[in-house]
Parts: sequence; structure tokens; C-alpha cells
Amino acid sequence: MSTSNLLSAQFDDSEEDDDFNPQPADLSDAEDAGGNDDEDADNQIKRDAARQKSKGQVSDDEDGVNRDDEDEEGEGEDTAPRDEDEEEDEEEEDEEDEEITGHRRKRRRERRNQFLDVEAEVDEDEDEVDDDEDENELGANFIADTHPDDLADLPAGGETDDRRHRELDRRREMEASLDAEKQAEILRQRYANRNRSSRGIGDSVVVPKRLLLPGVDDPSIWAVRCKEGKEREAVFSIMKRIEERLGTKDELAITSAFERGGTQSTMKGFIYVEAQRQADIMTALDGLMNVYPRTKMMLVEIKEMPDLLRVTKTPSLEPGAYVRLKRPPKYAGDLAQVIDVTDTGLELRIRYVPRLDYGLHEDTNAPTDAFGKRKRPMAGPRPPQRLFSEVEAKKRHAKYLQGRPDTKTWNYMGDEYVNGYCEKEVKVQTLITTDVNPTLEEVTRFASGAEDGTENLDLNALAASLKASTANASYLPGDIIEVYEGEQKGVVGKTVSVQGDIVTMAVSEGALKDQTIEVPTKGLRKRFREGDHVKVIGGSRFRDEVGMVVKIVEDRVTLLSDQGNTEITVFSKDLREASDSGGAGSLGKYDLFDLVQLDPSTVACIVKVDRESLVVLDQNAQVRTVMPSQISNKLEKRKFAVATDRNGSEIRLDDVVKEHGGEARSGKIIHIHRAFLFCRSTTSTENAGVFVTRTASVATVSAKGGRIAPTNVPDLNTMNPAMKRNPQGAGSMPPPKTTFTRDRSIGQTVTIRKGPYKGLLGIVKETTDDNARVELHTKNKTVNVPKDALGFKDKVSGQSIDPNSRGGAGGRGGFTSRGRGGLGGATPAAWDGGRTPMAATGVERTPAWGTSRTPAGGANGGRTPAWKSGGDGGRTPGWADGSRTVNPYDGSRTAYGAGNRTPAWSSGAKTPAYGLSDGFAAGSKTPGYGGGDSWGSKTPAYQPQQHQSESSWQNQPASNGWSSNAYDAPTPGANASAPTPAAMNAPTPGAYSAPTPAPYNAPTPAAAPTPAPGWGGGWGAPTPQAMDAPTPGAQQGYYAAPTPGAYGVPETPAANWQDDGPRYVD
Amino acid sequence: MSENFVTPGQHRNLRACMVCSIVMTQNRFLREGCPNCEEFLHLQGSMDAIIDCTSQVFEGLITLADPSKSWVAKWQRLDGYVRGVYATKVAGQLPDEIVAAIEDEGRIRYIPRDGTETDAD
Repeated sequence: MSTSNLLSAQFDDSEEDDDFNPQPADLSDAEDAGGNDDEDADNQIKRDAARQKSKGQVSDDEDGVNRDDEDEEGEGEDTAPRDEDEEEDEEEEDEEDEEITGHRRKRRRERRNQFLDVEAEVDEDEDEVDDDEDENELGANFIADTHPDDLADLPAGGETDDRRHRELDRRREMEASLDAEKQAEILRQRYANRNRSSRGIGDSVVVPKRLLLPGVDDPSIWAVRCKEGKEREAVFSIMKRIEERLGTKDELAITSAFERGGTQSTMKGFIYVEAQRQADIMTALDGLMNVYPRTKMMLVEIKEMPDLLRVTKTPSLEPGAYVRLKRPPKYAGDLAQVIDVTDTGLELRIRYVPRLDYGLHEDTNAPTDAFGKRKRPMAGPRPPQRLFSEVEAKKRHAKYLQGRPDTKTWNYMGDEYVNGYCEKEVKVQTLITTDVNPTLEEVTRFASGAEDGTENLDLNALAASLKASTANASYLPGDIIEVYEGEQKGVVGKTVSVQGDIVTMAVSEGALKDQTIEVPTKGLRKRFREGDHVKVIGGSRFRDEVGMVVKIVEDRVTLLSDQGNTEITVFSKDLREASDSGGAGSLGKYDLFDLVQLDPSTVACIVKVDRESLVVLDQNAQVRTVMPSQISNKLEKRKFAVATDRNGSEIRLDDVVKEHGGEARSGKIIHIHRAFLFCRSTTSTENAGVFVTRTASVATVSAKGGRIAPTNVPDLNTMNPAMKRNPQGAGSMPPPKTTFTRDRSIGQTVTIRKGPYKGLLGIVKETTDDNARVELHTKNKTVNVPKDALGFKDKVSGQSIDPNSRGGAGGRGGFTSRGRGGLGGATPAAWDGGRTPMAATGVERTPAWGTSRTPAGGANGGRTPAWKSGGDGGRTPGWADGSRTVNPYDGSRTAYGAGNRTPAWSSGAKTPAYGLSDGFAAGSKTPGYGGGDSWGSKTPAYQPQQHQSESSWQNQPASNGWSSNAYDAPTPGANASAPTPAAMNAPTPGAYSAPTPAPYNAPTPAAAPTPAPGWGGGWGAPTPQAMDAPTPGAQQGYYAAPTPGAYGVPETPAANWQDDGPRYVD
Repeated sequence: MSENFVTPGQHRNLRACMVCSIVMTQNRFLREGCPNCEEFLHLQGSMDAIIDCTSQVFEGLITLADPSKSWVAKWQRLDGYVRGVYATKVAGQLPDEIVAAIEDEGRIRYIPRDGTETDAD
């Protein structure tokens, strides 16, 4: 057999394997009933496919390699396939062995992969059928391969065989080199896992933590004191030391060291070192900075070791949540809203309200430093938070501004502004994400961001931000709490004490009853029952609302607030059992019902206090909701503010007034501001009962403290002199009014003479007509006492006094001097006397007047004493003033008595009212006021006499009501003034008789001059001289002389009187 | 020798690998890559990868002197890693596509080190 033949024959064989051994193929085909060429060809195709599939089934990893082998097989010698098959079998066996003895995990995964490969499963079904055929054919091949003819042939072709093997190898190598990348890929896939598992990281099956719990064989962990805040440095120092001493004889024996520091951590101030022996730690840490191994080192118990390394997940931020900025300083503390979070959760896109001044405070001439960079501007007051305004930015910084107006997106100074907010990508470490506690005011800045202007406040995000803050979850001893998380879930009890995050609670229910356990606050919540009266204490924007629990779902409690009668839902951690009812009613310095100034022209009364806003009723009866910042200031309550109502009555705070007209609301005045009254009605709930009205439209209902409004209104009738003078025609005189001025008894020291407080000393604080409020000296108390039960005392001497008489300052002076005038005995009497008639009103006075008038017509002299004696002792001296003044002159001139008495009267009564109502001439009035009651009044009584009665004469007719009286007094005086008749008489006779007597009475003219000087001789003198003098002189030589003498006498008392004056003064 | 030591001044540049939690400076990550995870994280020379796969926010440093013997290392699943400084908690999670790539390529199940894992067991 030539090699070429052989080759060709073999090539043929390779082309038609089945034809190589037709017989066995036939045999095999015979079993299948039908073995023609077509079938053979079909079978061959099938078998090839099946082979590949079966290979893939056995080891899909080796698929590619096997396929290569197969290709080679096909071209190989007839023995080659067998060898290859054998090889394959061996390989497969190896692999199977390997699989059995090899890594279990790998095997498991392969199975998993097998199951995961759905197509493979489907194929497998087909394969089974194919496999049968395959096996049959393979069997046929095996039979063929081991055919004795072939065996016989083989040794002959040994050379060729070897060459072919080599050729095969070459081809393999070639193919392998051609497909290196593919090979590498396959190899990596095949062996990568082994490498990985050998290194022990990333085990595809994670060992559960519970299998990793420490055992006794593990090294122990000791807690070592460390300087607080230096934990990280310490750990790195230990690392350094470990590496430095690695491989030396001093090699550290510790296995690890760690810290769990951090400002919030409870484990700060310690580092934890893991080592087999404590001594190792000592040597390892000796001399290390900030670590104090020589202080007491604590061994951590094995069961606590996992706790040291417990990691709690930081709640991730969701878009919409609120955070606070840490930097730049300009925005430090400002609230920002999260728009987007990156996958890593470490970078956020946030938006915040910018603080821009748009270059307003930029100094264009600011010096630039060496690098040509402008120096950092000095930290000044940061601009207020305002939404970005492109208009503002264009003014000065147009060159820094880019953007399109239609999108409302701008780029200004390197920052991006969307809808007025600054949007920025920041790292999470530049933000404060815990305990953000955004206030309502801050949050509302982000609320108006919607395009259509609607406010879309994301309450869920707000709630999340607020819930996340645990700082406010505080438990106080006595709180009823419930464990809702962890092993002790469901346990209910009462807080005994709180230490950091650990609450000690006394269990009140269940199996653990009466035991005291410690629980972390994390798994705790407060427990309330429906109907509990609770107060919102923190976190929520409903802070300080008080209400009744109506519903509890999980840790969300719905309560009906007392103030607004609205349902609010808060977390139970923000609640506390409330003993007080109603809201605290104050926001900062503003309390309910305070009067506040909104702007210079508007004031308002606070009618509701919310957590962050106030509801006010302004002076125009408008209800507004304002922030405390909108209030310019608070107006202090003016206690003594006074206004007048529509009737002119005085109204003060706390008076009850009623609206006249309108809604006829009534209420107590709580504020008086200009012409506006803020009143509070107890019957209305609207605006907390507060309403505003004008002073001119209310009428007093009742005044505070029994102030009776009408009496405080001056009675204009009594003030009108015209009406007073003639009340109802002539005759009856109204009783003198009591004082119109301030009640003099206020401020007086008094004794109480009657009633339960009898005998007590006090000071009068307030008075009404009948009552006085007396502040007692003995008790710190002010009592109401009827005025007539008061005895007035002198503050200093303690002597009883009359407050009213003391009132007239001038009068008092008069008294004193008179008292010294030898009438001392009368002085006390005068007090009483002065008082008595006053109290007795005018009844007695009227007759007094009558009498005084009467004597004018009749005998004065007799009357006066009679009257005087007729008066009672107390009163008499009072009158005595008048009478007595008369007395000294009484004897001498009765005629003047009446005249004297008038002023005396007025002195006795010392009533300016009389003086007023008299309508008397200035002369009579003057003494009433100025001269006081004593002598001054008298003096003018003489005055008319002295300087003649031009005034008297002229005035008397004018004073109609008193004309008679006026005549009483002055008339005699006037009459007494001799000149009048003389004047009348003198000329008359003179005119007629002058010529006649003149010749006869030559010497008489001497007499004529006499009267002339008596009268003041301006005009008198010449007249008599010319005509009269002689006549009267002559005539009066007998008659007239005594008459003037008689008349002249009155002049004498004048002189006398003048003499008396000093005497009295003495 | 003390290659893992970082001076306090450089502490602000520290980053922690989100896969193995090793703590190194950013520069070292850039220069050398992650000593444990380099084959699938490919941090070396790639600033983007470093930013994606490492975190500046981490807590609780651990000095690992002997990863094979230490219980801490076992508990933290650090056994088999190199000696060095690790963190107990690394905030942030790997981006999803990287997690997918690791689990395909590195045949590793990614365990986040930001505290979410404790809930799972």
C-alpha cells in the first residue's frame, strides 16, 4: 500500500467514515431496518451534531476545545478517531474525577448553570434520542475500529501514523496560536473561580454572620483609653508601628486595632485592640501618642464583640428631603432641598435660596494681590435670602450672566439658577443631614416653586426630615412607653430613668411584669390611649398644640387640637401627656391678646398664636395671619388709658361696654388705642372673642370697681350760673353742691369708726360719693368703707381734722390768724360749725339768709345776737364769725349790722358758690375768695362805706336776685353815707334856698366846708360854696347840724373800724 | 515600609473602597489601585473609577495587622485581604452597572459596606 494510496484512501475514509467499514455499518443499519447510503449520510450529519451536543453537555466549558478536536478527528486516520475518543474519554473521566473530588462549590454552580440554561435542557431531551443512535453508531465504530483487518493494517502504517500524529499536533498548535484570545478567554473562565476561591475573597456564597461569631479561640479585644478625637490618628500610628517592626524581632503581636470614634459616638475616647494576650497590647502601644494603655484596660466580652463593629445604615436621602449647608460660610446653616441623589448616595443635587448682592457691595478698586487675584472680600453681613433675579444681575453683572429667559435657567457667576433657586452638586459631607428640623418659615420658601404658582409643599418630605431627627425624641421618667422593635417587642412599661440612649423601664404588663429592663430608645415609642390629653412637644410644626388623642396608627397619633378643633397627626415621640389645657398661647414675646404694632398706622390684637405665626385682628377689623417678623413691636398695655364713650362717660380698661347700633356686641375692654377699643366678649368665639370698635360707638355698661359712670360726668346744669341763679323762679336755693374737685379725702389718714374694720387706721386710696377704699396700715389690704364711718386724722399729729375745711388753702390761713386774735376757743368749734352747716345743707342757711335779710328791713342789732344765741353751740361759732365780726361794732351801728353780716355770712359759709351765685359786685366776691372767710370779707363790707358806694349803688341794681339783700347790707351803708342825702338835699335847698339864707347865714358857710372835706371835695366843695353853703349852714345851724352829725357818726365807725383792724390783727 | 501610614494632614484625602473597605489616600488609589479589588475595579489611573467605587465617607478605622488570624477581619469579611487600614462602615453604594460587572467578571457577591447588610442576616 503506497502512502499516496493510503493517503487517498484515508482521505476518502475521512470523507466518508461510514463507508470505510461498510459492513459493520450495514450491520448496524440492519438493526435500524434499512441502511442505504442516504440514511447513512443522514446519520452522519445527525451524529456529528449529536456528538457536539453531547460534548457540550458533558462539559460546556470545553466546548470549543472539543469541537477543535472533533475537526481534527475527522481528518485524522481511522485509528486517530479512536485514540482521540479514548483521550476524550480519559479527559472526561479526569474531569469527572476532578469534579467529584474538586471544589464542591464549583460543582454546585455548574449544576446551577445547567439548570439555568433552559435551552440546554430542551436539547437534552433530543440528545437522549440522538445519544441512542449515537451510541449505536459509536458502537459500530468501535466494532469497526477494533476490526481485525484494521489491526492488521495498523502496524504496517506505523510510520505514517506517527507522521500524522505530528501533523495533527502541528495543526493543533497552529489553530491554538490562531485562536489565542479565545483560548485565553476559555481558560480564564475555567480557572478564574479556582483562583478566586483560593484567595478567599468574594466567596460567591457569603458565610452568614452568625457563623462568624467569635469563639474562645479567637483573639480577645481590649478597650484602651485614647485621647478623644485622636482615634483615627491612633489607628494610623499603630499601623505605622506594625509595618515598621514587621519582620523584626519586635514584631507586634496584635492582630488588629480599631476605633469607633466620632462626635456622636458613645465609643469615643477608646480604641480597641485585638490580641491574644494583654501583654502584647502593652508592648504594641507603649509610647504611642494619644493612647493610654497604662490606664485601666477593659476586656471586651466575647458576646459583646460583634456589637463593637455593628454598623447602622445612615438613612439615605431622598429627593425632596431637606438638608442644611455647612459651607460656604455665606450659606452655612441655610436650608436646602435635595433634588437628586447620585447612585453612590455621596453626591447630591440640591437647591437653595441664594444670598446674592449682585455686586452691590463690590469694591471695583479693591487691591489685587501678587497673583492678580482679587483678595477675598472681607466677611461682611451676608445678603438676605432672596430668589435669583436676572434683572438685578443684569444691572451690574451682565457679563457674568448667561441663560435664556424662556427656561428660567440662568448661569451667574458660575452657579446655576433655576426658577430663582440656586442648584448645585454637592458632596454629602458638606451637608448636615441629621437633625435638620426645618421650620415652617424656611420650608415655605421652597413651597412656591411650582410653575403655575400653586404651592406644593411636600409634606411627606418634610415629615421624613423631621422624623429622622431623633434629638427631639426625649423620654422623661413617668412616660408610658412601648417597645416596638427588637426582642422585647410589645413590652409596655413606664420610664424609670433615661441615660443617653438607654431607657430604663419598669414593665407594667405581660410576662416581664414588675421587672426593670433597659432598652435603647431606638426601638421605643411612647404609648398613648385614645382620649388622652396630650401636647405636641417637638419636631413637628404643630409644636405646643394641645389636644385629645382620637386615633393611633402605629406610631402616628391623630389628635383633635383644643385650640383650632382641627385634627392633626404627629408621631408619638413628639407627644407628651399634657396636664395643662389650651395652648401656651405665646410665640416668643407675643402672647394671646397682646396689642401689637404692624405698621405705623396699624395696630392689631393677637387672637391666635400658632407655632410659627400669629393671627391678629387689626384696628380695621381685618383678620390677618402674620409672622412674628412682620410685627414691628408690641404695645404695652396702658393701664391708665382713658377714653370717653358716646355718652361722654369715661371708659377705662376692663370696663364692660356695649356697642351702640351695629351688632350690639358687648365685651370687656382689653385695649384702648386712640379711638379704637379692642374688646373681648365671652359670648363669642370668633377671633377668640375679640372685636374691635370705636370709642364713639360704645356705651358703658358697667365700669370697673364700681365707678359709677354718670356721677363722674360733670352736671352742666349745676355749672351754669344762669340756671343756678334762678332754678325755678325766685326763692328756693339749691343746696350747695359738694366739691367738684378731687376728693380731698384721698390720701388722708383715717380711722374707721364703724363696721368690721372699726378702729383700724388707714389711708384713703379711692373714693366714690359714699364709699372710700381705705388701705389699712395693719393689714396689707384695701377695704371699702362708707365715708361716714371715717374719721380723718392729721398725718403727723394724729389729731382729728376735717378734710374739707383743710381744702381751702387761703381759708386756712385766715382761720389761723383769727384764732390768734383772741378767738382761740372758737377755732375748734369753727371746724365743726363750719362743717355742720355744710352737711346740713342749706336748710338752715336759707333762714339765715332770711334773717339776715329781715333785719335789713327791721332791727338788725337785736336780731343778730338773738340769732346767734338761738343757734346751737356747734353752729354758732360758725355764724359767730359773721356775728362776731359784727359784734365789736354792734353797739355802735346797728344799721350796719346787716351789712356786716352779709360778708360774715359769706365768710361763715365761705362758699365761693355763693359768691358766684350772688352775682354780687366784685367787692363782695373778692373777700369770699381772696380774703378768706374771716376778715377779708368784712373789710369789703366796709369798703363800700369807705370809698363811698359808687360801686354799691351801681351794682346793687344789677344784682337782681339779691337786690334786697344787697340793700340790706350796703343800703344802710350807702344810706349812711351822709353825702347822698346831703348831696340831694344840699343842692335842692341850696338851689332854692341858697339865695335866701345865704345873706343870713354868713358864718355858716364855715360849716359848709366841713362836710365838703368829709365827702371828698372834688365837686362838693365848690357847690356849697357857690350856692349851698350858706343855706345849710344857716339852716343847719340848728337842725341840719345835728343831722349831719348823726350822719357824721357813721363816718366815725369807719375810723373806729380802722382802728379795730389792727386790734384784730393783733 | 510604612506604606499604609497616612499623616493626619492627609486624612482629608482618604477614601475607602466600597468593596473591600480598605482606606487609602486618593492618590494612592490612583497610583496603585485597590490592592484587593484591582482586578475587577480597575481603579489604577482612573479617577472616574475611584470616584465611583470609593467613598470619602466612612467610619471606624481598623488597623489590620494579621488578616488571617484576626477575628475582626473575619467578622468584617476582610480575611484574605492584604494588611492595611480598613473601615467598618463605608457610606455609599457601588453603581449598579459596576456591581453587575463585578458579579459577572469577578464572581463576587457584592456586599455593601454602608450598613445595609446587617439587616439582611
